[in-house]
Amino acid sequence: MDTKTYIESGVIESYVLGMADAQEAAELEQLRRQHPEIDQAVLAFENALEKTAMAGAVAPRPGVKQQLLAELDFEKAGSSRVVSLSPWRYVAAASILLLVASAALNIYYYNQFKNTASAYQALLLEKNSLFAENQNIQTKALDLFNNMQVMSDPAMIKVSMKGVPGKENTLATVFWDSKSKDVYLLPNQLPKAAPDKQYQLWAIVDGKPVDAGLIADCNGLCKMKNIPAAAMFAITLEKKGGSPVPTLDQMYVAGKVG
Amino acid sequence: MEVVKKYTETELVQLLRQRSEAIFSYLYDNYSGALLSIILNIVTEEELANDVLQEVFVKIWKQIDSYDSTKGRLFTWMLNIARNASIDMIRSKSFQNSRQNRELTEDVYSAGGTSETRTDQIGVRKMVHNLKEEYKVLVELSYFQGYTQDEISKMLNIPLGTVKTRLRTALIQLREMMKP
Repeated sequence: MDTKTYIESGVIESYVLGMADAQEAAELEQLRRQHPEIDQAVLAFENALEKTAMAGAVAPRPGVKQQLLAELDFEKAGSSRVVSLSPWRYVAAASILLLVASAALNIYYYNQFKNTASAYQALLLEKNSLFAENQNIQTKALDLFNNMQVMSDPAMIKVSMKGVPGKENTLATVFWDSKSKDVYLLPNQLPKAAPDKQYQLWAIVDGKPVDAGLIADCNGLCKMKNIPAAAMFAITLEKKGGSPVPTLDQMYVAGKVG
Repeated sequence: MEVVKKYTETELVQLLRQRSEAIFSYLYDNYSGALLSIILNIVTEEELANDVLQEVFVKIWKQIDSYDSTKGRLFTWMLNIARNASIDMIRSKSFQNSRQNRELTEDVYSAGGTSETRTDQIGVRKMVHNLKEEYKVLVELSYFQGYTQDEISKMLNIPLGTVKTRLRTALIQLREMMKP
């Protein structure tokens, strides 16, 4: 490729001045990438053209710039038509813009408000349920603390009731207050009773079983009946509501006092 | 008036694309005079030329995203927008009508002292003025009036090949005149 001839052909000038046809332009754009001297020639003519135009610069009519600044600010993405507006029309146009913007903001803030309100409701609900749960746990903690107080009382007699043969995995403990004769039961390990059944505690007094109370769902220690004297305690599974006499083949645990 | 340049063309383009008003102002202050000179070369009537200038800056502002620096410098791009807008103007019906009216009045009051004579003496046309007559008419018709070489060939009844060669010679001579 004879770049010198190309540079002297006038096609570069024709291209820069916007007079080259599409084919010439495409060819030049390709050639300038391949040949730095062609690229240089293009740039040199562009610079010379700019200098010539700069040297001939004519001050524009005053006000063209202001009009442009006002117009371009006014309609950044509108049509390219040059129009001059009277001040009142600017005011009117600005008011409409403001109105539209404010309406849009209203919608935006209303949506924000709705979102916030529903988030607040959800939080309120969560707070209430947490509070209830907390109350619940506090009650349980207090019960457990009271239980511990009961169990650690020096007057308390502890009777461990182990599983009878065939029910070795079961365990329950009686705490018997030697002063007040109150009986408390801790059901350490008792299988869950069927819905129509209930565990019943018995005190064995002079070889006879005495009803010491039904075991309900209790938190930790269950307070049973007051038993003045007993040699032994045992638990049987009875029908719901209890029985006057124990069903002996349904005995789960038993333990001697002392 | 020499304005100290503060930005490279790359910076200018980048800031223009960010729609900076300060940069637009800078661009206008630095380039409006040079662009007006090319517009005056074509439109010749000062009021109209200023209207075209305003239109040109609106176009620059709106089309800056389509400017491709691999195809030419920013100034070249702006200059071509100015040239095309000016040619569109002189080809518009309203311009043709007003020109007819003006030519009538000028016939009555004689041609001296109008703003038109001055536009020959500025910018690119001042250079073209120094070309030989046979070259000058070709540059006039193609660059300042936007006719294709084919149209010029028919208009002047000169073979297309001759139009092409003469025009290219004219452009090379113009380039030499523009050299510092």
